[in-house]
Amino acid sequence: MELLLFIIVIIGALVVIASGIWVAISLINSNKRAR
Amino acid sequence: MALVFASLAATYIGPGFSLGFAGRGFKSGFLFLGIGLAYALQNILVGLLVAPRLRGLNGCHTLGEAIGQKYGKRCHVLAGAISVGLCAGFAAVMAKAGGEVVHDIFGLPPALSVIVVVALTALFPTIGGLRANVVADSFQFITFSLLLPLMLLLVLSIHLKGGPAAFAAQASAATVEGLSSTSTLEIIGLVAAFLLGETLIPPYANRALACRTTNVSRNSFILAGLFSMFWFMVMISLGITARSIIPADTGEDVVLLNLVKSVMPTFGRAILFVALVSVVTSSLDSLLNAGAVAFTQDVVKSFVKLSDDLALKVGRAATLAIAAVAAVGAVAVPSIIGGLLICYTVWAPSILPTLIIGLWIKNPRPLAGTLSMGVGTVAAVTFWIILWLIFKFVYPANVEIPPLVIIPALAAALLAYAAGHWIEKHKSGA
Repeated sequence: MELLLFIIVIIGALVVIASGIWVAISLINSNKRAR
Repeated sequence: MALVFASLAATYIGPGFSLGFAGRGFKSGFLFLGIGLAYALQNILVGLLVAPRLRGLNGCHTLGEAIGQKYGKRCHVLAGAISVGLCAGFAAVMAKAGGEVVHDIFGLPPALSVIVVVALTALFPTIGGLRANVVADSFQFITFSLLLPLMLLLVLSIHLKGGPAAFAAQASAATVEGLSSTSTLEIIGLVAAFLLGETLIPPYANRALACRTTNVSRNSFILAGLFSMFWFMVMISLGITARSIIPADTGEDVVLLNLVKSVMPTFGRAILFVALVSVVTSSLDSLLNAGAVAFTQDVVKSFVKLSDDLALKVGRAATLAIAAVAAVGAVAVPSIIGGLLICYTVWAPSILPTLIIGLWIKNPRPLAGTLSMGVGTVAAVTFWIILWLIFKFVYPANVEIPPLVIIPALAAALLAYAAGHWIEKHKSGA
């Protein structure tokens, strides 16, 4: 149970990081398209 | 869509959903994660049911215009005035939080810290408008969505002694403390406040209305709702890990700041403070912009015909005026979450019944909208003052008042709406 809670929290942190990377890639692509 | 989603998320992830949630995680563990899930549900429901209808209205750029299109000019102006007031209230909460971060980093006096944050943030919307807001929000979203979870991973792997067992023990102890110090009525009120209090506030509504298609509008809100669940988990977990690292009597608004100072090396600390400043400014600039747009489009333009050039100047002046009001109002904000809850308590009863019913029924009546907005606002303020007097003088107790006010005030607004609808329907015979 303790390990499961720990893993869920770590997965949550990774999902947030992945969202940041996704937005960064989209921002770079939209800037390329705008040029 | 990624940029609209990032802009929405950067707007709602202000100091309340970062510094505030970390503080609540420190004091009451996962109790506030459960309450935060109500907020996630609200975003998903808005994405599924409301945002596409709002985006489907023709020629609307603000919430006031949407209400005006359904209920007429009087309601348009009233919704605009409430929007301006609410944006100033939310901005005051952001200004207080931003001031605390700057005070903590540079050691400036608190009042000067607030002025520095508000003055610098007011530059984005004053110079660039909504477009500058959305791009700045995306940069800020990237900054904090990478740095704060990385800090959590660092704390969990290096600074937390005892690993998963220690984390679970701290989480359990904090959650039990939180549950024992919060009554069931307060929990119900908090869930209602987080479910309804920030629904379609002007910066979110502007983004829903500005989306290219109804699909983008719907999906951005749904994604933002799903993202908030993971974000709250990260913030609450940071607060829980802080329990074994910083003193137990740390004030809830400075838990995250003190944790950063305790665990990060100087370089990492500087970068994280940049992330925290981003968290505050990304919300503050959106609120200033939304307040200025509401003032120009909903209030001034309803009475005076303005050229585009003059409207831009009025908008810029309004941005600076709302920023000034926020800086002064920051002094009166009790705590970050406390301040947000007061704004939620006024927003939900004053605007939501009129807006949501108006989007769903065929022939909304102007009197119903006017009565609901008027009664909702007055009821929220009156109930708040009565309960404050009761808990201050009659039965002295440290009770969070806004969660107790929101449901009765919402009920009053709904009754007023029903009465207005009934009266006008029978008067016109339609």
